Amino acid sequence: MSAAKVSKKRKAVTKDVEEEAGVFSGDELNVGDIDGALSDDANDLSSDEEDSEVELVDDFSSDEDEDEEEELDSDEIPSDGEAPLKKKSGTSAADLEVPTNDDESSSEEEQPNFRIEKDANGNDRYIYDEINPDDNSDYSDVEENANTIGNIPLSFYDQYPHIGYDINGKKIMRPATGEALDALLDSIEIPKGFTGLTDPSTGKPLELSQDELELLRKVQMNEIPEEGYNPYEPLMEWFSNKQEIMPLSAAPEPKRRFVPSKHEAKRVMKIVKAIREGRILPYKPPSEEKEEDLELINYDLWADEAERPDHPMHVPAPKLPPPGYEESYHPPPEYLPDNKERKAWQEADPEDREREYLPTDFGSLRKVPGYGEFVKEKFERCLDLYLAPRVRRSKLNIDPESLLPKLPSPEELKPFPSVCATVFRGHKGRVRSLAVDPTGVWLATGGDDGTVRVWELLTGRQLYSVKVGEEDPVNVVRWRPSKDAVVLAAAAGDDIYLIVPPILDPELEQASLDLLDAGWGYAASKPAPKASEEGKKTTPPQWVRPSAALADNGVCAVIPLRYVAKSISWHRRGDYFVTVCPGSSTPASMAIAIHTLSKHLTQYPFSRRIKGGGPPQTAHFHPSKPILFVANQRTVRAYDLSRQLLVKIIQPGARWISSFDIHPTSSTASGGDNLIVGSYDRRLLWHDLELSQRPYKTLRYHRKAIRAVKFHPSGRYPLFADASDDGSLQIFHGSVTGDMLSNASIVPLKVLKGHKITGELGVMDLDWHPREAWCVSAGADGTCRLWM
Amino acid sequence: MNGVQDSTSAAASSQSAQRQVRVQLVSKQEDIALPESTGPILVPTGLRRYALSTLVNNLLGNDKPVPFEFLINGAFLRTSIDEYLTANGISAETTLEIEYIRALIPPLHIASFEHDDWVGSVDVLSATSLATSWASAVVSPGQERILSGSYDGLLRVWNMSSQIVATSPSPADGGHGASIKAAKFISPNSIVSAGLDRTVRLWKYNESDDGFSGKITPQIELYGHKSGINSLAVHAPSNRILSASSDHSIGFWSTKKSDAPAAPENLVPSAASRSSKRRKVSSSVSIPQRGPLALLSSHTAPVSAAIFDTNDSTVGYSTSWDHSLRTWDLVTAALVDTRSTSHSLLSLEHLPEHHLLATGTSARHITLIDPRTSATTISAMTLRGHTNAVVSLSRDPHSSYGLISGSHDGTCRIWDIRATKTDNDGVVGESVYSITRRSLEEQGKADAKRVGGEGVKVFSVCWDRSVGIVSAGEDKRIQINRGEGVLSSA
Repeated sequence: MSAAKVSKKRKAVTKDVEEEAGVFSGDELNVGDIDGALSDDANDLSSDEEDSEVELVDDFSSDEDEDEEEELDSDEIPSDGEAPLKKKSGTSAADLEVPTNDDESSSEEEQPNFRIEKDANGNDRYIYDEINPDDNSDYSDVEENANTIGNIPLSFYDQYPHIGYDINGKKIMRPATGEALDALLDSIEIPKGFTGLTDPSTGKPLELSQDELELLRKVQMNEIPEEGYNPYEPLMEWFSNKQEIMPLSAAPEPKRRFVPSKHEAKRVMKIVKAIREGRILPYKPPSEEKEEDLELINYDLWADEAERPDHPMHVPAPKLPPPGYEESYHPPPEYLPDNKERKAWQEADPEDREREYLPTDFGSLRKVPGYGEFVKEKFERCLDLYLAPRVRRSKLNIDPESLLPKLPSPEELKPFPSVCATVFRGHKGRVRSLAVDPTGVWLATGGDDGTVRVWELLTGRQLYSVKVGEEDPVNVVRWRPSKDAVVLAAAAGDDIYLIVPPILDPELEQASLDLLDAGWGYAASKPAPKASEEGKKTTPPQWVRPSAALADNGVCAVIPLRYVAKSISWHRRGDYFVTVCPGSSTPASMAIAIHTLSKHLTQYPFSRRIKGGGPPQTAHFHPSKPILFVANQRTVRAYDLSRQLLVKIIQPGARWISSFDIHPTSSTASGGDNLIVGSYDRRLLWHDLELSQRPYKTLRYHRKAIRAVKFHPSGRYPLFADASDDGSLQIFHGSVTGDMLSNASIVPLKVLKGHKITGELGVMDLDWHPREAWCVSAGADGTCRLWM
Repeated sequence: MNGVQDSTSAAASSQSAQRQVRVQLVSKQEDIALPESTGPILVPTGLRRYALSTLVNNLLGNDKPVPFEFLINGAFLRTSIDEYLTANGISAETTLEIEYIRALIPPLHIASFEHDDWVGSVDVLSATSLATSWASAVVSPGQERILSGSYDGLLRVWNMSSQIVATSPSPADGGHGASIKAAKFISPNSIVSAGLDRTVRLWKYNESDDGFSGKITPQIELYGHKSGINSLAVHAPSNRILSASSDHSIGFWSTKKSDAPAAPENLVPSAASRSSKRRKVSSSVSIPQRGPLALLSSHTAPVSAAIFDTNDSTVGYSTSWDHSLRTWDLVTAALVDTRSTSHSLLSLEHLPEHHLLATGTSARHITLIDPRTSATTISAMTLRGHTNAVVSLSRDPHSSYGLISGSHDGTCRIWDIRATKTDNDGVVGESVYSITRRSLEEQGKADAKRVGGEGVKVFSVCWDRSVGIVSAGEDKRIQINRGEGVLSSA
């Protein structure tokens, strides 16, 4: 170790020496005299700083002295020359330890060139000596003052004052040793730049100059040792956001910036080639990691999956027709739209367009642009799927129109009443009832003012008026149906009045009067009711002659019914009529009365109350058969008068029947009777008695109660009408066919409006002209109207 | 005036200067005919009636412009010529023959004669009326008389100054016992009337010399009908009367006492009769009672009207509510022909020049029926426009094409059977003018529509050449309207 150190030291010394030698050598090469001067200066310095002993040393080291001594001791030097040389070349510190070093180095010579040392772990460690370059080392620049004793220990010169010889053969004097100098050193101040080292090349104590000390300080302070270096120079911003007027470089843009690099292309092609040949795999093939973990059990859900038939709700997408020429990217010219068509297509609303695309000629497929509507269509399709998924509807392929019965249009069913032709004004208060006479010339009306009036039908001229009810309204007026005599029956208050209006020709008037007068004798011939029976309520009333005032006005007979009759209906032959008193106070046995004109006879055919359905409302004779129809609130019953039997019960299903009518030609044209029933609960019901007890058809067209229904009396026009409290009449066409197979067809024809609603009441009664398709209505507003 | 017309025609021509058509203007009337030399004229097709009328006036050199109407192929030009050509598919290169006639001037209201009750019938005695011509009498202008039969049972004779010259006697003195629905002059001195009292009454009418008072005296009572009489027709040269009654029969009567048979006993009011008792008691005069020459009864419903053929008094026509029009041979009282329509017929008028019968129907229109047996179609034309039953018809004295109708809707309408339009029902006539009731206008309700013609129904209308259009109705008045040559004759 010490050897290595020595060698290292030596190297270092050598280096130092070299540096110094360099410095000096350069000078020396140029001016030899200056070298001497320098050394002289050094000597001067040392002499200035040191005392006489130094002078002594100086003396010793003077060139002349050394030369002399070298000559004297030249023989002895080779034996001991190496060590002093080593010491000389080493640092001055090494020089101080020279004696011990010498001992070790001498023992080293017998040892191998390595040592075994213990390292930190206690293991053996071989440490080899450093290899000396020896002979091969080239000391090209041997310094003048360098010791030339060679590779001999310096200890050989221990006996001598010099330590070797320089290149000129002069003795190199041994520098003064520490022991000699210590006393001096201690006695003097340590000057600035004192290092305590000995310059090995000069043997003088190494002193550092001011510059060197400054340099050392900078190194110690981690400063840049270079002189004149300013770490705080002002910053020059070369690249900043400031737009310079003159650019840093005005060079034109180099070509490489915009020309594709051929080099890169070459490189890319190389890679491409390699990829093609398979030398480079563009991506790492996924390594099939088949780590069959035996601990995990995988279940294959679809292992035994088999083809299944489609779900019943599966709806395959509708098949689109194959594309045609128009959809081609290069359609034949005749499919291309001209400018006009193109403009029309563009201007049309997208929804109105006949087709969604415009045939366009692109020339070639590669010129076809991307489909602009793609995203939109996909989006809409998604919306469709979300909002309106495809559903299979079980659709019947039947035109709904064909299911409807074929109703003829009203135009084809003319004539029917459509406009108001005449207004009959004169009644004060409501007109409760009206009737057109069998000849169709006159109209009889009765109203709340207690008068019965007869009008000329066409012109609306009032021909005759009689006030029959003093207080009570005239509830109903009805003409006797046959034409051989003219009799008007009117019900006002508790009485029935039979009137022959004085508007007839003498012959007919006489016939009418005779008809009515004939009964007086018959009634008189009958035994008068006994006094005991007189008081009984069930006794049929006796017909009486009217008062003189009434008789002058054409009233011929009065039937005191004792209860208010609201319905009169004549038998078609004109000899009988039936009256109904629907009042709740009326005894059931007296509600319905049949009056015989020729005998002045009143009979009560029903002794008991009709079961179910409340009090009777109205009654009509069958137009051809001896059957009496009686309606109570909920049912219509047919009684065979000759056999005195209940024939049929008709249940219209209405809550409260207001009126009904029997088809005039029913049962003569066809086998069955047809009935229309109007009810206060707004329903008009058509009954075909052959079909069912229940209504064949229910017509609910009115907003309020239906007051009256009536068939056209002649078989000529298959019309019927109803009158309602909503102030309107409705005209229907209801044809009854002769054969049994087809049912009656009912066509609503016309709503006749005109009557004002007065006190919640609209049209109170209606009647048809016996021949024409004209109809008359009695309104609660005090007018009657003729509709034609 | 002419300058204005020129500018209008210039404006019209500038509008459609691009198309022109060659027209030949002709007229059948001598006084307004263009000179022979006038050849076809090239006119713009944009011209309408007014521009054409101006053109003709200019050609005639009239100082006072006369309005003209123009007929192309027998139909009135109601559009521009261009539209007419387009509508009828006629090339503009053909020469169009356009006939022009004097335009109808809207008839103006002259006077209204107020009555106490509804007026059911009206007739006119004037220099040009039939009764005058039959009697070869002379009625000086200004001395025209108007006869009205009212619903109060009285006949009234009016002069043109709205004064009543004469009134028929009351029922007690041999007058009508009920409303009069028909009244006519037979001659300037005799009147026939009928009504709801089932009698036809002949009256003698005498006038004082000054013409301000007169007297109607009952002449004959004709019994035979069992129900009210709706209309009368007279033919003075043969002394015959036709009556239409609601008892489904037509009475054929003679105006001469000597000709007529005795009255049927059962129809003559007797003391036994209840209703005539009161009347008989107070009756102070005895009037000859006669029966019908014949009762023509084959109608099945009230007969609304019966008329004589204009040319042949032995032929009668009748219409009835039973929808039929019947032709009668009055000599033998035999039914010749029956023409059935689909509606009740309420009035009848003969248009002899066209061999047509015009009948008013309850279905609010007038049907023109060809009564000849050779005619294949029953209805030649329908005139539509009324809104209620048409109950009275009268011919235009000026024109064989003209017609006036009175309806229950409260209007009288003037028709020209050449003014037609093609409907989906075929050729349909349109009314030329509509005369409303003055009474409505006086009430300030001219525009108000009466439901069913309430209060303003027209019952009778008569068109006389010198007096004008006389109509009577439910508003208790006779209304006289006159237009100077209302319809052009042609």
